[in-house]
Amino acid sequence: MPSPMWRQHELKESYDVVVIGGGVHGLATAYYLTKLGVRNIAVLEAKYLGFGGSGRNTAIVRSNYRTPEGIAFYDHSVKLYEQLAAELEFNVMFSQHGHFTLAHNERGVTGLIERANNNRMVGVNSRVIYPAEIQKLVPHLNVFGHSRFPIMAALYHPPGGIIRHDAVVWAYARGADRGGAHIHQQTEVTAIDVHQGKVTSVRTNRGTIRAGAVVNATAGYASTISKMAGVPLPIESHPLQACVTEPLKPFLDAVIVSSTLHVYVSQTDRGELVLGAEVDDHQSYSIKGSLAFLEGAATHLLELFPFLANVKVLRQWAGLCDMTPDYSPIIGEAPDVKGFLMTVGWGTYGFKAGPASGHLLAERIASGKTPKLLEPFGLERFANDCLVGEKAAASVSH
Amino acid sequence: MADHSPSTGQVEFQFNGKTIVAAPGQTIAGALHAAGEHVLSSSFKYHRPRGLLCVSGRCPNCLCTVDGTPNERICQTPARTGMQVKSQNAWPSPKLDVLRVFNRFSRFMPVGFYYKSMYKPRWMWPIWEKLIRRITGLGTIDPVHGGDGDYEKRNIFTDVAIIGGGLAGMQAALAAAEGGARVVLIDDQPGLGGHLRYDPDLVRAEWTELPLRTAANHRIEVINGATVFGAYEDRYLGVRQGERLLRIRAAQVVVATGAWERPYVFENNDLPGVLLASGAQRLVRLEHCTFDGPVLVVTDNAQGYRAARQLKGAGVTLAGLVDTRADSTEAIDGVTIHRGQTITAATGSSHVTGAKLATLAGEKKGTIGCRWIVQALGFTAATSLLYQAGCSLEYDPALDQPVVKKYAAGYWSTGAVNGFHDPQAASAEARSVGAAAAAAVGSQPVPRVVERPTSSGATAVEPNYVAPTSAKKQFVCLCEDVTVKDVGDAIDEGYSNIETLKRYSTVSMGPCQGKMCQAAAIAVCARHNKQTIAQTGVTTARPPDQPVPLGVLAGRGVQFTLVRQTAMHDWHVRNGATMSDAGNWKRPGVYTTVEQEYDAVRNRAGLIDVSTLGKLDLRGEDVSKLLEYIYPNKFANLPVGRVRYGVICGEDGIILDDGTVSRLGSERYFITTTTGNADAIDSWFRSTLVCRPQWDIRFTNVSTSFAAMNLAGPCSREILAKLTTSDVSAERWPYLAAGELTIAGVKATVLRIGFVGELGYEIHVPTQYGLHVWEAILEAGREFGIAPFGLEAQRLLRLEKKHFLPGVDTDALSNPLEADIGWVVKLEKPDFIGRHSLDRVSQRPLRQKLVGFRLQDSTPIEAGSLVLSGTKVTGRVTSSGNSPAVGTTIGLAWVAADQAHDGARFEIRVRDSNVPAFVHEAPFYDPAGERLKS
Ligand SMILES: Cc1cc2nc3c(=O)[nH]c(=O)nc-3n(C[C@H](O)[C@H](O)[C@H](O)COP(=O)(O)OP(=O)(O)OC[C@H]3O[C@@H](n4cnc5c(N)ncnc54)[C@H](O)[C@@H]3O)c2cc1C
Ligand code: FES
Repeated sequence: MPSPMWRQHELKESYDVVVIGGGVHGLATAYYLTKLGVRNIAVLEAKYLGFGGSGRNTAIVRSNYRTPEGIAFYDHSVKLYEQLAAELEFNVMFSQHGHFTLAHNERGVTGLIERANNNRMVGVNSRVIYPAEIQKLVPHLNVFGHSRFPIMAALYHPPGGIIRHDAVVWAYARGADRGGAHIHQQTEVTAIDVHQGKVTSVRTNRGTIRAGAVVNATAGYASTISKMAGVPLPIESHPLQACVTEPLKPFLDAVIVSSTLHVYVSQTDRGELVLGAEVDDHQSYSIKGSLAFLEGAATHLLELFPFLANVKVLRQWAGLCDMTPDYSPIIGEAPDVKGFLMTVGWGTYGFKAGPASGHLLAERIASGKTPKLLEPFGLERFANDCLVGEKAAASVSH
Repeated sequence: MADHSPSTGQVEFQFNGKTIVAAPGQTIAGALHAAGEHVLSSSFKYHRPRGLLCVSGRCPNCLCTVDGTPNERICQTPARTGMQVKSQNAWPSPKLDVLRVFNRFSRFMPVGFYYKSMYKPRWMWPIWEKLIRRITGLGTIDPVHGGDGDYEKRNIFTDVAIIGGGLAGMQAALAAAEGGARVVLIDDQPGLGGHLRYDPDLVRAEWTELPLRTAANHRIEVINGATVFGAYEDRYLGVRQGERLLRIRAAQVVVATGAWERPYVFENNDLPGVLLASGAQRLVRLEHCTFDGPVLVVTDNAQGYRAARQLKGAGVTLAGLVDTRADSTEAIDGVTIHRGQTITAATGSSHVTGAKLATLAGEKKGTIGCRWIVQALGFTAATSLLYQAGCSLEYDPALDQPVVKKYAAGYWSTGAVNGFHDPQAASAEARSVGAAAAAAVGSQPVPRVVERPTSSGATAVEPNYVAPTSAKKQFVCLCEDVTVKDVGDAIDEGYSNIETLKRYSTVSMGPCQGKMCQAAAIAVCARHNKQTIAQTGVTTARPPDQPVPLGVLAGRGVQFTLVRQTAMHDWHVRNGATMSDAGNWKRPGVYTTVEQEYDAVRNRAGLIDVSTLGKLDLRGEDVSKLLEYIYPNKFANLPVGRVRYGVICGEDGIILDDGTVSRLGSERYFITTTTGNADAIDSWFRSTLVCRPQWDIRFTNVSTSFAAMNLAGPCSREILAKLTTSDVSAERWPYLAAGELTIAGVKATVLRIGFVGELGYEIHVPTQYGLHVWEAILEAGREFGIAPFGLEAQRLLRLEKKHFLPGVDTDALSNPLEADIGWVVKLEKPDFIGRHSLDRVSQRPLRQKLVGFRLQDSTPIEAGSLVLSGTKVTGRVTSSGNSPAVGTTIGLAWVAADQAHDGARFEIRVRDSNVPAFVHEAPFYDPAGERLKS
């Protein structure tokens, strides 16, 4: 009989660290904590591992962000992802076939140039390429055919690609389990007790747990959890939708993103095309897909690949995104509640960041010191007005 | 009730290069069956041969590429002459697929094997992946000719939408129509009747006329050949009818989607020759086919006996009938009944040759030779639309299916989907549901009386999902080649939750979306977890319920993307302008050369089309109050006849847009926005206004009612004077004057402003007179050397004045204080949008600043280049150009606050070297604004 990926445990009365949320961020944080020798940990997941964004995302991994702070942080994550299969002994199928952000107008091109320049300063491989080269690298893309908004340039990022998202979640879960962490599924946090400015315990549907530190890693639900600890967050939850087609023989290796057309697409190793867009513009906790999304995504995809008109959509879904005003995450300890840490604000782009934030936050918890790469991302930045503006690089590109 | 009968006039098409003759009206699959072509495809993972199973468009087995379109369900596609039908995932043919070796090595490919292999050493994965990408996927898409159709969309609003045109659907529709409701009845088959169409023994005399009566009812619109694929929020249905997308909004929705037979899980249950009983009935009744060898029927219900009798009646030889019930008494003349037994395996390699039987306890009972195995072992209720709609369902063990516990608002269900397999009972229930749905339209909620059958009636005491055998090749999921053992192994590995089980084993993730396997997967999962089926739960039902082509979803959306043209568009094109996109608008980029156009504006006069600006007309007593609230600067003190620059910020103090506000009368204002933000600012005003219903404000968006042009340059006053009888002297029309003038006979709103830094007039005229006034100005200006100028010249001209463009020179973090227009922010005002945030910014040192810069020479600088301090990135260039006025490259850049004083030097990164630049505080051209104000 094969050995289980993770075991089931009784809930203990007390853990050193209680991580709320069984997505990539919660599980990665737990895994890296065990690596640092912090082993008395629980990961509490209300539903099942990967119920949230980590099981719903379109798995784009890249580091071609806009700000020096953002680029360096995501670059750390991509590098960890490159080693992850070997480290966790689980094939997470990271395929780095390149990521193309298209620009269809002058303003878009300027944005790409700026990003390429910043990427270069940090040492991240990305450059602006123009139609002839785009066509060469993505043979079937409608570069020169009739199009309402012709493609003027692209930011080409060779190390970008897609990953098998569920595999990442499961592999981190197994790693955390092997390191001694207790993974509790179907365990929902209902309240958090704070005493004299310090977190003391967490209440769940299965009982109360005393906790040395609590980590909020609940993405779309982050502000509700944070409220339990009395920490308001500048976060709005918006649904984000995606869909896949029937499997086709692969014709597209790269990830193609167009923010003018509000669409992005990649083709998985199973042959399915995965399509997405930007977040729904209303705030909501609904995770139901809409017909309007399908119509829009199809319309825009056909501008890029007109020959796909007869290809059929198989399945659509939605997930919640915890959007911050600057499209950057919030990682670290709440300034006013000791022991209440968070890795939230992952918006539409957080899957790729799992390894980096897990690794660095674990270091923060174990050592009490904030690693340099995390410094720009504290909650204080909103009070201090020191935002890390990634909107231009993260709104449709994820 | 068959829809077509064989007649003369044959259809010929190609299947894998072979000519097949079809009777008219036959589907591709029916014709292939008749022609003895039983291997249609190769399975996804092991490349096992697959043949017809459901014959109802629900299973994955008959997916073929038809005329270049992959993954077509050929059992639903009528054969047409000249069609090219090709098997998928099979090379060279589905009968002789070389990759079928995977089938023999399947023990090396256990569930999730790819997660446990191919990643060591690291460089191996890309090589493996290449290989995987070569063999994965089903159909091949043609990147040149793929996909074009006559797509269209239709919107339908109705009282009651009924999904499913079987007995229950028709009865519900008639009852609803009799209740006074307008009804739309949607069915995916070519004719009404559901299973009555192919099961004549169910039809009672009074039902034979039902399809005709339904279609003839003037309150009922019947939509055939249409599949409801999505039940979206608020009874919004997505329906595909061929190349058409129907969007139906209904007050009430009745789900009468019925049930389909579920495949039994036994060894080699995927072999060609294994059919669902309803599939066999359809082949005989609708496709006029027969069977080319003995048929063994396996059943636990009356449906199996009916199917067996019908086959026999059609001349088919029966090899026997296996009834899992030991105590059943039904008999068929001349047919051996094996009671208390079931089938554990099909034998054969590319087609069934026999069946192994055993008792339910697993005791072997020998093999029966047969060419076809027809199974009738229970149903899967077609509940997915109910789940999608948000109804909550619970598994009912007595009925062996999920039943609705709580309906989503406005939803109903009736017939087999509720477990009524007895047509008489279904018919009665449907009439009462239909009547209730009609009564619920538009009135107070009516109390629901929900009837349920007491037992499934159709099945045995214990539902049959999986045969009593431990053989390896028992497929739970046909689409994904997932076996019973795979499911068990996945659970043992910890993927015990039905959702994680699905994602890891891929069970129910194939093209049929679990229609053929979800019930069995849940049963197997429950058994392995030692839980009940109810405790195991279901995976989320996600639209589309049947796959929908992208083209159908897009409709003609691609062609319909708006192209907006100004009133002067054709003139621009005729006069050689390059046109560029600005949002949906087309705008002239350049007519001659930037140098010539620049020269005209600076030294004589130029005319630019600015019709694309957003234009808002506001009237009423409280407009000035609104402006005070929306803009950070002051407008209450704006005198009549004056125009003022304004910036709009968000709550966060970030610049959203800029533009002008003119006061044309004591209670009348005219506002312009930038082209790109016209819609956003319109919504911004509206959303502010809806919260202030008590304010006296009439708000009209007049963006497209007015054409607009900017006449700029030292000669513009003289040109204007030629076209109007009014006094346009500097005294009467000074800088920042606003008002009305009659120009070339047309009443115009005129603003004396100058974005390009010259004496200038922005002229707004009704759109229909735009071209007339445009031509009149050019004509009047001819003697002065006027020239039209485009966006490119305008960019350079404004850059020399250091005017920034929101969205070009600012981004999602730019506030007015740092964008160097702090003078527009009047923090002394009690309140305005963004005040709180800007107040905070004003109390901290500025961190960065938008400054003008010039180089020592004319090195071209790309917008998007970085600004450095040492090796640290401190900012970026947002605009730049070669300034004729300065003689060097100039531009706008964000720099660190300590780099922002006049004359300060900073570095711009150009490729891999640094270029020195110097901050220039004043405008580069006419710093005192004398020309502008002249
Ligand atoms: C459609 C879509 C596409 C996306 N595409 C990409 C992409 O291409 N690339 C990318 O990098 N990112 C992408 N994202 C974003 C990414 O998915 C998320 O940012 C990321 O998965 C967040 O991970 P997480 O671990 O923080 O949270 P989640 O994975 O959302 O996990 C949070 C968990 O917390 C649990 N929880 C909530 N409340 C409680 C409670 N009270 N008690 C216990 N547990 C609780 C939830 O059940 C959930 O499982 C996409 C998101 C969506 C929705
Ligand atoms: S049989 Fe189609 S998904 Fe399993």
